[in-house]
Amino acid sequence: MNSTNYDACPECDLLLRSAQPKIGEKAHCPRCGLLLSRPRKQSVERTFALSIAGFILVFPANLLPMVGITILGNVNTGILLSGVVALFNEGMVAVAIVVFLASILFPLVHISLSLLISGHLYFNRHNRFLVGWMHWMHHLDEWVMLEVYMLGIIVACVKLMALAPLKFGWGLYAFIALIIITTMLTSGLDTGLFWQRIEQLTKENNHDS
Amino acid sequence: MTAKANALAQGFIRCHDCGYLVKTVDHPPSCPRCDSHLHARRPHSLQRTTALLFSSFFLYIPANIFPIMTVNQFGTGEPNTIAGGIIELIDSGMLPIGLLVLVASILVPSSKLIGIGLLLLCAHFRWQINARRWTVMYRVIAFVGRWSMLDIFMISILVDLVNFGAVQIIAGPAATAFASVVILTMFAAENFDPRLLWDNQKNL
Repeated sequence: MNSTNYDACPECDLLLRSAQPKIGEKAHCPRCGLLLSRPRKQSVERTFALSIAGFILVFPANLLPMVGITILGNVNTGILLSGVVALFNEGMVAVAIVVFLASILFPLVHISLSLLISGHLYFNRHNRFLVGWMHWMHHLDEWVMLEVYMLGIIVACVKLMALAPLKFGWGLYAFIALIIITTMLTSGLDTGLFWQRIEQLTKENNHDS
Repeated sequence: MTAKANALAQGFIRCHDCGYLVKTVDHPPSCPRCDSHLHARRPHSLQRTTALLFSSFFLYIPANIFPIMTVNQFGTGEPNTIAGGIIELIDSGMLPIGLLVLVASILVPSSKLIGIGLLLLCAHFRWQINARRWTVMYRVIAFVGRWSMLDIFMISILVDLVNFGAVQIIAGPAATAFASVVILTMFAAENFDPRLLWDNQKNL
């Protein structure tokens, strides 16, 4: 019995014959219903393109003002980092660190990793760190909370609208674009295919040397 | 189908990180493809999940009792708990947003605590249940967890923007407790292994 012809469901451990769904099809576990694989068209190329776009967008989304508020003639504008700094200055260090990680550092690292990985796969380059990068990306996935932050912005704005006039800046639009890109990125990334390509590259590399 | 249909019962282990299927007869210490540690089930899944669940349960109490933020207006401070903030939103006519916050910061964390507790009891006492339905419950719990961070992000934005001499919003001690609850329950869900639910079923 060759183990590559078989597959196991990650959530109910049912032993399955490897499903090879075509592009546009989905493979579900027959026992627990988990979505096993859903191959996408040109996953590597698309991930590479989206990572470049996302990596560029990270900077305006972080540096440009997002929301401005005017109270008693004073204008206060906020960027992503200023929320972290404000919490830090109030002594809420733990919360400030969590917000910093989930809304700034992890998204940046995640998009850089997917840029590195898809770039190497796109140009068929081997790198001994590829496996490590895949691990990191896999573990970070859940902790990138841009879309949750967006909801936070919406709720905060609704609360503030009653208080004072608001002004939305370019940072907010860049942030929304970044969310759309990261969502497309994570949904279009075919993990199974990526691992296969990495395995292939490693074998070729070992063969050459 | 019986529990014998499980990959483990037939001598296979699925790598946790890359999904590679490995034969247990070969006894490889780590995954041949991605080199991460192989284990058939998450190690100490029930113990770790229980520990994380208890800590988040105890933190959930201060998270709800203490003020999560204080609105200072012209010298008078008005502390707000999580529930107080929602009531205020609904009172001021913003029902949809109020309901959104109610779901994200009260219903989701509390049902998560109960849900993970039930999953643990089920796996520990080997209840004979509809494993498919319980796995779906696990999936929902694992998916919604991160959305509770909404409240924390909202506070970071409010604290930053509303910072004028006369009008000020200050984060309260409940924010730290609440953020810990969200993170610990996320770790708890991550550590729970849904395959344990299937292992215990006598007839599937």
